[in-house]
Amino acid sequence: MEKQILICCGTGCRANGSMKVVEALNEAAREQGADARVIADVKTTGCNGFCENGPIVKILPDNLVYYKVKPADAKEIIEKTVQSGEEIPRLMYKDDTGTRVRSQEENPFYAHQHKVALRHIGRIDPENIEDYLKEGGYEALKRAVSMTSDEIITEVEKSGLRGRGGAGFPAGRKWRTAASYEHFPKYVACNGDEGDPGAFMDRSILEGDPHCVIEGLAIAAVAVGAEEGFFYIRDEYDLAVKHIKKAIQDAEERGIIGESVMGSSHRLKLSVVRGGGAFVCGESTALMASIEGRVGEPRAKYIRSVQRGLWNQPTVLNNVETLANIPVIIQEGGDAFARIGTKNSSGTKVFALVGKVKRTGLVEVPMGTTLRHLIYDIGGGILNNRAFKAVQTGGPSGGCIPESMLDLEVDFDSLAEYGAMMGSGGMIVMDDRSCMVEVARYYTNFLCEESCGKCTPCREGLRRTLEILTDICEGRGREGDIELLERLGHAMQDASLCSLGKTAANPVLTTIQYFREEYEAHIREKRCPAGVCKELTRFAIQPEKCIGCDMCARGCPAYAISGGKKEVHTIDQTKCIACGSCREACKFDAVVTLGRNDVAERGQQA
Amino acid sequence: MVEFLEVSIESIDQIIHSYECSQRYALAIMQDMQRTYQYVPREGMEALAQYLDCPVSALYAMATFYKALSLVPKGEHIIKCCDGTACHIRGASTLIDGVKRELGIEPGETTEDGFFSFETVNCLGSCALAPVLVVDDVYYGKVTLEKLKEIIADVRKGGAA
Amino acid sequence: MIEITINGKACTCEKGEFLLDVARRNGFYIPTLCHHPGLAEQGCCRVCLVEVVERGKSKIVVSCVYPVERPCEVYTDSDRVREDRGAVLMLLAMRAPESPEIAALCRQYGAIDGSRFKPIQGEKCIMCGLCARACASLGTGAISTVMRGTAKKISTPYDEPSSACIGCLSCVKVCPTSAISFTDGPEKRSIWGREFELVHCRECGTVIGTREEIEYAAKRCGEEPEEICPECRKKKMADVMAHTYGECEI
Repeated sequence: MEKQILICCGTGCRANGSMKVVEALNEAAREQGADARVIADVKTTGCNGFCENGPIVKILPDNLVYYKVKPADAKEIIEKTVQSGEEIPRLMYKDDTGTRVRSQEENPFYAHQHKVALRHIGRIDPENIEDYLKEGGYEALKRAVSMTSDEIITEVEKSGLRGRGGAGFPAGRKWRTAASYEHFPKYVACNGDEGDPGAFMDRSILEGDPHCVIEGLAIAAVAVGAEEGFFYIRDEYDLAVKHIKKAIQDAEERGIIGESVMGSSHRLKLSVVRGGGAFVCGESTALMASIEGRVGEPRAKYIRSVQRGLWNQPTVLNNVETLANIPVIIQEGGDAFARIGTKNSSGTKVFALVGKVKRTGLVEVPMGTTLRHLIYDIGGGILNNRAFKAVQTGGPSGGCIPESMLDLEVDFDSLAEYGAMMGSGGMIVMDDRSCMVEVARYYTNFLCEESCGKCTPCREGLRRTLEILTDICEGRGREGDIELLERLGHAMQDASLCSLGKTAANPVLTTIQYFREEYEAHIREKRCPAGVCKELTRFAIQPEKCIGCDMCARGCPAYAISGGKKEVHTIDQTKCIACGSCREACKFDAVVTLGRNDVAERGQQA
Repeated sequence: MVEFLEVSIESIDQIIHSYECSQRYALAIMQDMQRTYQYVPREGMEALAQYLDCPVSALYAMATFYKALSLVPKGEHIIKCCDGTACHIRGASTLIDGVKRELGIEPGETTEDGFFSFETVNCLGSCALAPVLVVDDVYYGKVTLEKLKEIIADVRKGGAA
Repeated sequence: MIEITINGKACTCEKGEFLLDVARRNGFYIPTLCHHPGLAEQGCCRVCLVEVVERGKSKIVVSCVYPVERPCEVYTDSDRVREDRGAVLMLLAMRAPESPEIAALCRQYGAIDGSRFKPIQGEKCIMCGLCARACASLGTGAISTVMRGTAKKISTPYDEPSSACIGCLSCVKVCPTSAISFTDGPEKRSIWGREFELVHCRECGTVIGTREEIEYAAKRCGEEPEEICPECRKKKMADVMAHTYGECEI
């Protein structure tokens, strides 16, 4: 029987050396004369989303999955598993109970997922159109060209699909508006400028299933009457650009798009525009300015881009994940799609579950899943079993949600209600060693660089917000700072030109709302409770807990820790740079975090 | 290491003329220059302005706006340290400080011998491997200070990339 | 025609007309900095913000780029407007502490207290971008916005004297905060790091502009450059006319 070896070659797995595993497996298979078809460079995306444990190797039809595979394992995999169907327990995933599991379905990371947008990823070769066609690819487009514009749009409206890029605008309504204008030419565009630091689902979809995004965009074009379309993809995403370009070419060669879409009278020309490296270009009007070959500054959107977009013509712009859902909606009907998720947020959402969580990666779950389920059941809880502190959703436009809201059912509206945002689906988990003031400062600093700088509230408001936050983090915070931050934040929300500026204060406002006491500790006590802000943090070793393992000293970049083997170690405060390496290295919780003013009191020990 | 072309009028013209004469290709053309020379040379921008019949200032505005474009040549090896949120939460700052110490330069700078350029980037979309370091397009995940030293030593020896 | 109210007064306007124009026509003054009647709107200084209540919902909009599409109530000086405008003005004052124009606006409209912040020493520019827009619309394009975010500024390419600059001072004339420095001597003008020769009218001797400016204007009109000021040119034309028609007996 022919066996298939699927090797994840997404950017994540490649970083873990999957290409070498491909080579080794190919060679081992040749040497053994194995009757196996080794598919290399195949499952390209965020593999199966579980990048942290990559390279991931799946053997079919056994449905056996191996993790963290090294080239040295190749021979054994071919000999044992491929040829004799034998398991290699060492390479299998160990679940929370310590049991080695065989398949993806048994792995707790996957068991709770519901894949729609990621349906093909990890199963097909993204560079091979045949693979996509075998999965029923382009059937939805075929159906769409036989439907009227109204029928297609009605189906999308019925599905309740909302834009996955951030704001959650109903896709059907956007298409309906664009279709209603009689100004030609019209354009369609796919927003693949995934700029939220901490989110990578769009990259994963573009890399791992490019044809499904093309199919979604082609259906949009047919529905609204556009004959030209663009993929605007982040410059950093080399593999995504490569795969989309190849997929467009293959689809053109087969007459799927081009002079005739699927043999119909529709025409469609698609091209790729590489983003210039600007977060603000995720904003629709800035993205369009960039496609037109100008500086990516947004314009006032009192007249929407669906009416006056690219070159002032009607333009439909949808996010990658939104488009990936479209073929499913056309094939299975809008009603079926609407049954997944919550009433006002239908379908699934892909989240990038990252940060201080045990299992990190891409997870797709129905809308309405609770944060607790995501973080504890899928993510396996907090790294090193530390205490959960907050989860940040929606990137620089989103907010931090505290522990008291872990049972919140996540959808567009529930997050917005609490000052956070779905955004593109970044979900960054933070523990008690994450400083919320520093997180707010981090995002503000990010936005100071990434704002286009056009309007006053955003440019100057961010500059001044950063000034205060930096002061607070470095021990110069004053009474009244928190109130001033709130006042600035509200003015930015009201008066900024585009959504980047309007949401830029969210990280600050939500951290103040839910973690005000942490701000106060910085300002009044000159202490960073999480031990992150260097100027306000001193580390000390508790003698009663130190066993003298020397792990802290070995990791100390400043050579500030002394103490012999099996002796109590001490930190020389004059050398310490407060990087926290010792605290991370200590397995016995002997390193304590103190405030700036605590050290003098504690004398030489501290 | 990737090889980069010497700047010449011929090679600039070749890049420019592979595109139709339209403002919409301005960014793509400059990105091609960036890929070819590792920066957008002044001659390139001036030739492009002439080709598109637009002021140099319009292109200069773009070249300074978009982070993918740079106006000065970079070092032989580029170390990018990801400071995306996931990396930041998992200790990117410590790593950035580490690179600063090892190379003696700030982000955005190039070592005096022109061997290393150091950049911080906002997110490389490899959040599950945080913190991430990229040297000449080779990704390194879960980088520690110790691992960082090894990586830099390897590049110095010509081993990596 | 659409009927709206501004601060309670009934006004009418065309569909799509910008709110700022409607308000000013009806006698409501709204302060602006980046608005210029001859140049395309940018809506970036945000000083002209007003509160609009439409279909029961209140929102802050920027009047210079807000097209009136349906009946609404407009408030140019509500509490919310004062609060937001006060914050924007404070931010501008911290950005351009050297500008008397901004200081005057702050006094007139009430900026919030900005003493917590370090103002940018010596700065007058508020980054409204009018100068770059004026330069671009003239077709010279010597200056543009450069960089982005908080580092954004106006400059010539590479911060060097630009060969595209003709020294016409259009940028200076549109600047709302007199932030662009230049010097005008009897024979020379210098701006953006370049020195220009000033041309005098061959009839009356007044300065008519830089050599480059005159040549640029002539080239665009397809004429030969002439060293004569508009007044003397008019006078000369009148003389020609008089000479031509004077000979005829009426």
